[in-house]
Amino acid sequence: VKVLVVHAHPNPDSFNAALFRRAVESLTAEGHDVVAVDLYAIGFRPEMSAEERARYETDDPVVDPQVAEQIEHIRTAEAMVFVYPSWWSSLPAVLKGWLERTMVPGVGFILDTRTRKVRPALTQVRHIVGIATYGSPLIYLKVVNDNGRRVLSRALRLSTGPRTKCTWLSLPSIDTSTLEKRTAFLDKVDSTMRGLR
Amino acid sequence: VKVLVVYSHPLETSLAAAARDRVMKGLADGGHDAHLIDLYAEGFDPLLSREEHANHLAPPSTKPDDVLRHAELLAWCEALVFVYPTWWSGQPAMLKGWFDRVIIHGVAWDLPPNTNRITPLLRNVRRIVAVTSHGSKKWVNALEGEGGKRVLSRTLRLLCHPLTRTTWLSIYDIDNATEKSCTRHLDRVERRMRTLGKWR
Repeated sequence: VKVLVVHAHPNPDSFNAALFRRAVESLTAEGHDVVAVDLYAIGFRPEMSAEERARYETDDPVVDPQVAEQIEHIRTAEAMVFVYPSWWSSLPAVLKGWLERTMVPGVGFILDTRTRKVRPALTQVRHIVGIATYGSPLIYLKVVNDNGRRVLSRALRLSTGPRTKCTWLSLPSIDTSTLEKRTAFLDKVDSTMRGLR
Repeated sequence: VKVLVVYSHPLETSLAAAARDRVMKGLADGGHDAHLIDLYAEGFDPLLSREEHANHLAPPSTKPDDVLRHAELLAWCEALVFVYPTWWSGQPAMLKGWFDRVIIHGVAWDLPPNTNRITPLLRNVRRIVAVTSHGSKKWVNALEGEGGKRVLSRTLRLLCHPLTRTTWLSIYDIDNATEKSCTRHLDRVERRMRTLGKWR
């Protein structure tokens, strides 16, 4: 399976980065075709530029070569794995920006000019996996809603089609988590990645 | 009412820009004290850096200048108005980055030692208003879970005064909107801004 792994954390020594590396290792060990993207490491810009926004509805919406490269990865991916820390009960800005800048019309979805309806364009994606860490406890997440998860498991899934499977691995209360809990979570990431079909 | 308006859109020709102008007009007509932060115009950097992340529990005085300036405005205002387009069922990365970098420890919340429950610091904020637009229809957004709405009405509100009211002024299905429906939306925005108060 061709897997695109997207990671967004500023610190390469963080636990989140360890989760990213473990996910990539496990997928590679299983013989998957893995493309690993560390958004902070490649210096990806989160904000959509004025030129990109102006060209969004045209036939040629891609301005930045870095975005074009990401679109290449997206077009061939059969599974997408997102490894990120939940900030503000949502995605980090750089990951949100990755969605906005790469999933332009023709890549993420097709805007039918005749019916003015949106059709999914990522139907080759069969699996979306989220690996997220949270500072807040689970109860708080239930109250405010896990909005980052919804963006990926619902908004993005509308572009991949209803048959896309979605798996979510979350580690809440990371500030007070124990070493055992974190180790167990790493193992869970490992087994999930090995089981990816 | 002292109002902080946070606006995020790269183009001056957009509906969001028109909404921003109507928000400012409505607030001025209503006699409110308004301050505008235009994130794209001031070239705000939405990327939380490695240093900022590593020092996120440090006192606010050690933060970068742009964060400090915005933090002062946050401590001053009584109402927060966000003007932005909804992209991928949430705030644009620019605005999300403003949250990541400015709504931080010591500014918006405090984390007592050995807990994972935060205490709110934005007690001065009594009103949160979102002025936004959605490309897709309302039921599609309902299906997607309205992530952006929850970020403001729940995550942010939990850091404000316990009686904070939130208002959602949005136009849906903008891909197929007519000039008439846009005008109606903008008129409603201006009207609501003019009469903005603690309770309404």
